[in-house]
Amino acid sequence: MNITRINVGPVHPSTHGVIRLVVDLDGDTIVNVEPHIGFLHRGVEKLAETRMYMQIPPYTEKLDYVAPMSYDEAYVATVEAAMGIEPSEPAKYARTILLELQRIASHLLFLGTLCNDIGQMFTVFMWAFKDRDMVLDLLQEAAGSRMFYVNMRLGGLNQDLPPSFAEHALSLMDYMEKRVFEYEKYIEKNPIFNERMKGVGVLSRDKAKELGVTGPVLRASGLNYDVRKANPYYVYDKFHFNSKTLQDGDNYSRYKVRMLEMQESIRIVKAAVRAMPEGSAKGMPVKLRSPVPPNRISIVNRELPRGECLMYMVADPQKPYRLSIRSPNFINLAAIGSLARGARFADLFAILGSLDIIMGCVDR
Amino acid sequence: MALQTDIGNIANIPYWTGGDTLHQVIGIIIYIIIVSIIFSIFGYMVGWLERKLIARAQYRHGPTYVGMWGLLQNLADLIKLLSKEDVIPENAFRPLFAVSLPLLLALSIFIVLLLPYSPTLQATNLGFGLLIIFTIVSFLPLLLFTAGFSSGNKFAGISAQRSILVLLSYELPVLIVVASVAMLAGGYSLDGIISSQAAHYYFGLLMPIGFVVFFIALLAEFERPPFDLREADSELIAGWLTDVSAPYYAIALFLDYARMFLGSVLVSILFLGGWLGPSFLPPLFWILLKAFIVSVFVIVVRATAFRMRVDRVLRFGWLWLIPLSLINLVMTYIVFVR
Repeated sequence: MNITRINVGPVHPSTHGVIRLVVDLDGDTIVNVEPHIGFLHRGVEKLAETRMYMQIPPYTEKLDYVAPMSYDEAYVATVEAAMGIEPSEPAKYARTILLELQRIASHLLFLGTLCNDIGQMFTVFMWAFKDRDMVLDLLQEAAGSRMFYVNMRLGGLNQDLPPSFAEHALSLMDYMEKRVFEYEKYIEKNPIFNERMKGVGVLSRDKAKELGVTGPVLRASGLNYDVRKANPYYVYDKFHFNSKTLQDGDNYSRYKVRMLEMQESIRIVKAAVRAMPEGSAKGMPVKLRSPVPPNRISIVNRELPRGECLMYMVADPQKPYRLSIRSPNFINLAAIGSLARGARFADLFAILGSLDIIMGCVDR
Repeated sequence: MALQTDIGNIANIPYWTGGDTLHQVIGIIIYIIIVSIIFSIFGYMVGWLERKLIARAQYRHGPTYVGMWGLLQNLADLIKLLSKEDVIPENAFRPLFAVSLPLLLALSIFIVLLLPYSPTLQATNLGFGLLIIFTIVSFLPLLLFTAGFSSGNKFAGISAQRSILVLLSYELPVLIVVASVAMLAGGYSLDGIISSQAAHYYFGLLMPIGFVVFFIALLAEFERPPFDLREADSELIAGWLTDVSAPYYAIALFLDYARMFLGSVLVSILFLGGWLGPSFLPPLFWILLKAFIVSVFVIVVRATAFRMRVDRVLRFGWLWLIPLSLINLVMTYIVFVR
């Protein structure tokens, strides 16, 4: 057997950030894949120990630069848990809406980059980005900026949702419903797409459990675990939605689960916008001295677009003593070895794309 | 001799070659200049159109700033690339690496010069024109292999391996379809193929299966998506071009358009009647129009197709293209020749 060792990345067109994969190839078949990480390590957890509570969201946000608001919210929720603050009812609704919008935006990016990875250079990518941009417009309306929001405050948001928000959100969700349908129609009927996705990179149910993967990757392998269902936060328990599960565990299921999830998110946003109560969603203003947290230890888990995030914080009076983040991407990335073994070299990128990792979150 | 309006008559090769040696040499030079101009303008316009069309498919504008509608963008790119430093990587096998790409381009342009463009604008009317063209065409993947292999880069090496693998799947169907074309026309002369299409119908109508197989196989031959395995951007960075520096890359871009032109003119000669068309416009116009339509189709395929995997391309070639081309051959024999 003649093994070729290839170094993929950290500079490579489809590595989704700076990851280095050392790939051993036997002909065109992958024998072994070894991910090397750490190129984007910024020491966020350590940095958090030197900052006051509300100075930290700008750091946690940059962990996942595709869905920043979800990390922002996870961190603020952790601080709220430590301080025993309960968000107001309108704030809960508003956060639910924004988080689901963020999920849609994130999955649209996934769709675009996945299609790039399997060789449809930039057509679906640009379509998805156009739609993602419209979602970002809506988020900008609500939060004030497009990419990094820093709009979560203790007990609410930095500002109320504008009066026109509901109308815009509903019309955008109608449009998005049509678009998701169109994507499915165009992409899933493509024989080359099916050939590249179905039966490739199969993650079995047991292996998924063993690796501890979460989010869409887990649900594509037939395990129905969704934090929004298992441990409902905010107003997720008030709406009817399904956490979609598929059985095959291949690339196609991982893609399909995300498409189905987008449809569910659209339903949640619509229902939440319609049921939004009157009142202010504004939280506490950011002050130099925050209230002293009564709880020493707080743990919060959240369903981010890419999986379950768990934030563990030990609180000191003015700043965290320790902040520990369980990154879903880090654990999902661990699956690459067992998924890619035996696959073709070209499939490596389809598998990496279907895991949908964000290196900022992997390296922290 | 009076200057005539038909551009073909200016380079009336039978007229020139009928004279003495000086006449012949001048005739050949005039012919090369005319065909080069046609080919450059066509290739350039198709290159511009490719950028524009793909941009439209992707909700973009494409080039807009350099020249009117970005018409000069490709020229600007070419100048930029040619003015950069030429670096040959240390790992490369120098002689082969330096020769492969220029030779590829030279061979492609040589074939372009061998093709007939109108009843009068053609280099030679060899009885075996079809054979010699496809002999040279089958050399091209070999040079792609040497180019990738000699660059000393592992990605380029994989690309070179793929180029040989994929060769197995499309070279045979191309030749089988060409054989059935020759059978239908009763000879290997390109001129004869077109005059036989003038006498009957276009070969694209007579053997639709062969037409489709030939078109798909040509996509693979000339590295167009969905068969752009050798240059797969998302896997192999740039495949066999990973380690080439800017001037070589300019050659590669030029080569891309040369092959596009070559492929689309070949399709229009073999299946769409070449220069045949209503006589109110010169024959040259018709052949270029047909080639242009074929090019647009190739570009649209690029804007929409996912890339196939190597093993799937092989399977597709052996399970579909080769049987279909054989069926086409047999059917052509039974229906038209016997």
